[in-house]
Amino acid sequence: MKGRVICAVIAALLPGIGSLGAVPSAEARVSLEKCTLCHGKPEFRKILVDGKIRDLFVTADTLKGSVHEKKTCVDCHFDISEIPHRERPRRIACTHCHYKGNAEGAPQSDAYLAYFDSVHGKAIAKGNSKAPLCQDCHGNHNILKAKNPEAAVARTKVAETCGRCHIEIYAQYKTSIHGVALGKGIVEAPSCTGCHGEHKIYGHEDPKSTVYATHVADQCSKCHASVSVMGKFGIETEQVATYKESFHGVASQFGSRTVANCASCHGTHDIRPAEDPLSSVNPKNVPKTCGKCHPGANPNFAVGKMHIDAKKKEAGIVYYVASFFKYLTIGTMLALIAHIFLDMYGRTRRLRGEK
Amino acid sequence: MSAESPKSAQVVRMSLMYRVQHLLLMVTLLVLALTGFTLMYHENWLGRTLIRLEGGVLFRGFIHRAAAVLLMAQLVYHAFYMLFSREGKREMRDVLLRRQDFDDFLQAIRYNLGLAGEYPRFGKYGYKEKFQYWGATSGVFLISVTGVILWVETFSMKFLPKFVLDLTLIIHGYQGLLLFVILLFWHVYNEHLHPSVFPMNMAWLTGKVEVEWLRQEHPLEYEKLKQEGII
Repeated sequence: MKGRVICAVIAALLPGIGSLGAVPSAEARVSLEKCTLCHGKPEFRKILVDGKIRDLFVTADTLKGSVHEKKTCVDCHFDISEIPHRERPRRIACTHCHYKGNAEGAPQSDAYLAYFDSVHGKAIAKGNSKAPLCQDCHGNHNILKAKNPEAAVARTKVAETCGRCHIEIYAQYKTSIHGVALGKGIVEAPSCTGCHGEHKIYGHEDPKSTVYATHVADQCSKCHASVSVMGKFGIETEQVATYKESFHGVASQFGSRTVANCASCHGTHDIRPAEDPLSSVNPKNVPKTCGKCHPGANPNFAVGKMHIDAKKKEAGIVYYVASFFKYLTIGTMLALIAHIFLDMYGRTRRLRGEK
Repeated sequence: MSAESPKSAQVVRMSLMYRVQHLLLMVTLLVLALTGFTLMYHENWLGRTLIRLEGGVLFRGFIHRAAAVLLMAQLVYHAFYMLFSREGKREMRDVLLRRQDFDDFLQAIRYNLGLAGEYPRFGKYGYKEKFQYWGATSGVFLISVTGVILWVETFSMKFLPKFVLDLTLIIHGYQGLLLFVILLFWHVYNEHLHPSVFPMNMAWLTGKVEVEWLRQEHPLEYEKLKQEGII
């Protein structure tokens, strides 16, 4: 059933696929030279209804350096079969080539299937023309491999790409600890995709989402519980473990969606170090942050360390009291057992003496 | 009953009121232990399974607090009963800790080790019963205090530093464990494995014990009842 839906979506996205049989033969194909007759003029542009200018200038160098540099215009704009074309070309359907088992030699992956299930793919399927297709993130004529640092989806660039639509979030992220770190060239710092995933991006209220309330701690712990990553920056790695031992963490592990997760206190796109006065976990802001769930929270909430592990010496008095009780309990058990055996022994003697 | 009653003659040791209190205490403590330890040991499979059986982590908390309210109500009721009712006042005199109990305890140990010639002679309650009673009562009182602090966590956090709440949580858990261990071991031995009652002292259900048992285990009480003409 699901497969059928996806097929239907693909079919809807690929209006050109129906006319696949009618693809013109190689001789009849429109050559690059013919396109540049018009598109090769630098002033070739169109003023759109909303006043924006669409640059239509294309030359033989446009695809140069991109992954598609050996392709020609109509490989993607396959709905153009006559020059000059009378209608505006349709949006490009990358799945024309990029599907598993394609004969074109295009990279084969199921990424597009993941995309169709994602929040963006679903929005497209619902008819939201503003939702992004492949080319909106990966670029159009200038597509580069994701590993290429210049690619629109490269780790250091992807936030900017997402930010073209998600403007406010991008602004928050850019000044957050993660955004600043990435800006400084620290590649370990997460960009949008680091937390939200790449093609499988879901809304945060979708249980499949990596940032769904009960998944947040696991998602953060991918980096924050790793000594090899955090060690480089002198950040503690126990924060996730201590969270999981806390009331919040236990409730979250057992499926509570209203209990605090990492993001509830530290923020999401606007995470900042605690020393930063704008940070939601800065002592000054703690009453407000805790107050979201604990009405009437006061500055006393900021007194003391939040993340503690009673099993470690760093917890101070909590550790020592816990150890004291541990040995008290063991001692009590041993004393009780000793008393029981002694008393039984005595009782046997007492019975013998009486009889 | 007369002095000539046969060996199997019985005498009341727990009145109906005490049996009801004992039963309620048993049920609430077991519920609290089950719901409490599942949270304390949530990381192992038994804890995880039990939490699920208890309706998830939030409903578990609800059961725990409901049982706690019942337990605290019992504690208050019991205190009033022991201090102001006629039966309670009599029991209070019997169960009150005296210097004699500590001497009895030491003498029992000496006897058990073969250092003393005679085993101590107990009244209605020997040191075993008294230590358990006062241990459990003060334990229930203290665990209620830490429990309430944790229950009203928003209120507590307004006045107490975080580490005090961390301590409260640790202490609450270990208090529960300690209380559980003491009650379990003490009961398993004194009410089940002790040769004089094996397999079980029925007094918590019937309220009665055999007179002969009383003569052997609580001779002072036996003599007192005999003097009063009850046996």
